[in-house]
Amino acid sequence: MQGISFIRIIGVGIKSLRLHKLRTALTMLGMVIGVWAVITLVAIGEGASHDAQEEIKSLGARNVIIRSIKPPSMREQMQGDWESFFRRWMAIYGLKRTDASRIKDTVPGVTRVLPLMTKRMTAIHGPREIGCQLIGTYPYYPEFTQAQLVAGQFLNEAEENSKVSSCVISLELAQRLFAGHNPLMERIVVSGYESSQVFQVKGVLQERASIEKLAQLPDSVGQTIAANVYIPLSSFKALYGEKNVDRSVGHLKLEAVELSEIRVEFDSVDRVMPSLPLLSEALNAGRDERDFEIIVPIRELKALQKQKARDTRLLMYIACISLLVGGIGIMNIMLATVTERTQEIGVRRAMGATRGDITIQFLVETLILCLLGGGIGVVGGWGFAWVRHHLLHTTTIVTEWSVLVAFGLSVMVGLVFGLYPARRAALLDPIDALRHA
Amino acid sequence: MAKHSIIQIKDLKKVYDLGAFKVQALKGLNFDIEEGSYTAIMGPSGSGKSTLLNILGCLDRPSSGAYILGDDDVAHMDDKELSGVRGSRIGFIFQSYNLIQQLNVVENIHVPLFYQGKDISDHYDHCVKLAEKVGLADRLDHRPMQLSGGQQQRVAVARSLVNEPLMLLADEPTGNLDSSTEQEILDILDELHGEGRTLVIVTHDDAVAERAERVIHLKDGLVDQDIRKGAAKAVAK
Ligand SMILES: Nc1ncnc2c1ncn2[C@@H]1O[C@H](COP(=O)(O)OP(=O)(O)OP(=O)(O)O)[C@@H](O)[C@H]1O
Ligand SMILES: [Mg+2]
Repeated sequence: MQGISFIRIIGVGIKSLRLHKLRTALTMLGMVIGVWAVITLVAIGEGASHDAQEEIKSLGARNVIIRSIKPPSMREQMQGDWESFFRRWMAIYGLKRTDASRIKDTVPGVTRVLPLMTKRMTAIHGPREIGCQLIGTYPYYPEFTQAQLVAGQFLNEAEENSKVSSCVISLELAQRLFAGHNPLMERIVVSGYESSQVFQVKGVLQERASIEKLAQLPDSVGQTIAANVYIPLSSFKALYGEKNVDRSVGHLKLEAVELSEIRVEFDSVDRVMPSLPLLSEALNAGRDERDFEIIVPIRELKALQKQKARDTRLLMYIACISLLVGGIGIMNIMLATVTERTQEIGVRRAMGATRGDITIQFLVETLILCLLGGGIGVVGGWGFAWVRHHLLHTTTIVTEWSVLVAFGLSVMVGLVFGLYPARRAALLDPIDALRHA
Repeated sequence: MAKHSIIQIKDLKKVYDLGAFKVQALKGLNFDIEEGSYTAIMGPSGSGKSTLLNILGCLDRPSSGAYILGDDDVAHMDDKELSGVRGSRIGFIFQSYNLIQQLNVVENIHVPLFYQGKDISDHYDHCVKLAEKVGLADRLDHRPMQLSGGQQQRVAVARSLVNEPLMLLADEPTGNLDSSTEQEILDILDELHGEGRTLVIVTHDDAVAERAERVIHLKDGLVDQDIRKGAAKAVAK
C-alpha cells in the first residue's frame, strides 16, 4: 500500500462512482438534504430570534411599560342595575399622573418616568386622510424609546410650556401623508370626534421598532400604530382634557383615562426584575381593580433566550436524525456496492491489493460521496439563506457552528457507515471474493 | 542443464471443513516446477486442480505441507506478505477474464502495478507495449464491455505479464472461448513460453495439454500421472 498516491486512490474512487451515476447521485442526495436542512433550519431560527430580540431591545431592556387597560368589571355584559350601566357608559379608569410620580418616588433605581396620552385621530393634509394616533408626551420621548429624529427637531421644553401648536410626525405618517414632499413647516389637521386642530410639522421621527408585535391585551389603550403625531403632553391636556369619547364600536361611550401609558426607566438592567414587586405595590395603592398591564421587555428577552436554547436543541435533534438517515442510506448503498463488487475485490486482491488497500478504496469512495454531498448541502443552505435574507428580506443568519456541525457530522457519518462495508469487503479471503458470482 | 526449481511442494494437503463433514480436496502432493517450464494440470472434475492452482497462486493456503516459491516459504506468510507475492511474482489468467469494468484496456493492464505503488503515468508505455503484444493496439481506451471474450482474455494475459512475474498461472484460460480464439490465446502463451516464462495451466482440453512440456494428472486429490514429454518419462504414482 505504501507509495500509492492518494490522488490515484481518489481517481479510482471517482471512476467507480461514475460507473453508477444514478446510484451515486441518489446517495449524495440524502447527504445534501441532511446538511442543507440543518443549515437552513438553524439559519431561519436564528434569524427569527434575532429579529425578536432586536425588537425587545428596542423597547429598552432597562424599561418597563405600564399601560392602562379597561378593568374586567367595565367589560362585563350589562346587568341591569344603574351603577353598572353607568360604569360602562362613563368608564373612568387607568393610570394617573400621581401614579407616575409615586413610582418615581417610591421605587428604587428608577431614573425617569415618561407619561403618555394617546388618542385615535385622523390626520389630514390636502386630499389625504390617514388614521393616526395622537401622542401627548415629554421632550425626552426620543431618547427614552430610542427613536431617531430623521428631519427637523423634536418637541422642546419651550413648546411644552408655551402650548404653540407644533407637532412631530412619525416617518411612516410623513411618507403616507406627504408622499415624497418635505413635510417640515407644513400644516396638518388632526381631527377627532370632538374637535379638529391645526398643527405645524416641525420634525419627523422614526420609531426604532414597533411595539405592536409584542403580546398585547385586546383592550389595552396604548395600542401603538405606526402613524403617529406627537405633541406636548400639556397641549394634549389643554386641547382634549382627560375624557376620551370612544365611538369606534358604533355606540356612544365615554371613557376617562388620564394617562394611557407610563414608561419607567431603571438605572440598570439588573435593577428591573427585583423592583417589579415594589412597582406593583406603588400602582396597587389606591386601586380596588387592576386597570393596567405591565410589560417587561427584559423578562420577555430572557424568556425568548430560553426559548431559543430549546429551539436550537430541537433543531440539533432534527439535524442528527436527518444526517443519521442520510448515513444509513450511505451504508445501505455501500453494502450493496460491496456485495455487487465482491468479485472485483477478489480480482484486485489477486492482483496484489492488501486488505488495507481495499478498505481505503471503499472508504475514499464514501468520503467522496459525503464531502461532495455535504459540500453541495452547505452551498445550498448558504445560498438559500442568502436569497431569503437579501432577496426576500427575511432575517436569516447562517451560523458557523451549524455549518461545522452539519459538515462534520456528514463526514463522520460517511466514515462510520462507510467503514463497516469497507472492512467487511477487505476481510474476505481473496479466493472467496473471487468465487463470488 | 539442470534447471532451477521455482516451485517446490511437499505433502501439500487441503481440507475444506464444512462443519458436518470435511472434504479432502488435496491429499498430499509432491512435485517441483522448474523455471521456464510449461506445465499442464489435468484431471476429472473435482479432482482438485483449481484448489491446487489457487494455492500455487497464494489466493488460498494449504491446510498442511510445505510450499516454497522461489526461496520463500509461502505457507507461513501473513496476508500482507501474500498480497505482495501475488502482486509482484505471480501472473493470473482466469477462465472468466476478471477484468475491472470501470477501467479501460491500458488501466486494466496497469492494475497489478498500481498495488505495487507504481503510477500509471510512469508505466503507460510499458502497458501499451503489452497491449500491442497481445494485438490490442487499437483498443487501448475500450472498456471490457466493449470487447469480445477473446479480446478480454488477451487483456488478462497482458495484465498477467505487467509485473514481470516469476510464473503465469491460468485456470482453464480458454474454457469460455471458441476453438479459433482458443488457438490465438494458446499461440500467445506458446510465444511467452518461448521467451522463457514459466507457465502452469489447468485444462480439460487435450489440445492445450499437447502444447505443454509436462502434464500432471490429478485424481481424487492425488497426483495420478506426471508425464514429461521429450524425455517421454511417465512417473506412475
Ligand atoms: N470452497 C470450498 N468449500 C468446500 N469444498 C470445496 C471448496 N472448493 C472446492 N471444494 C471441493 O474440493 C474438491 C476439489 O475442487 P476443485 O475446484 O479443486 O476441483 P477441479 O479439479 O478444479 O474441478 P473442475 O474441473 O470442475 O473445475 C471438490 O470436491 C470440491 O467440492
Ligand atoms: Mg476448477
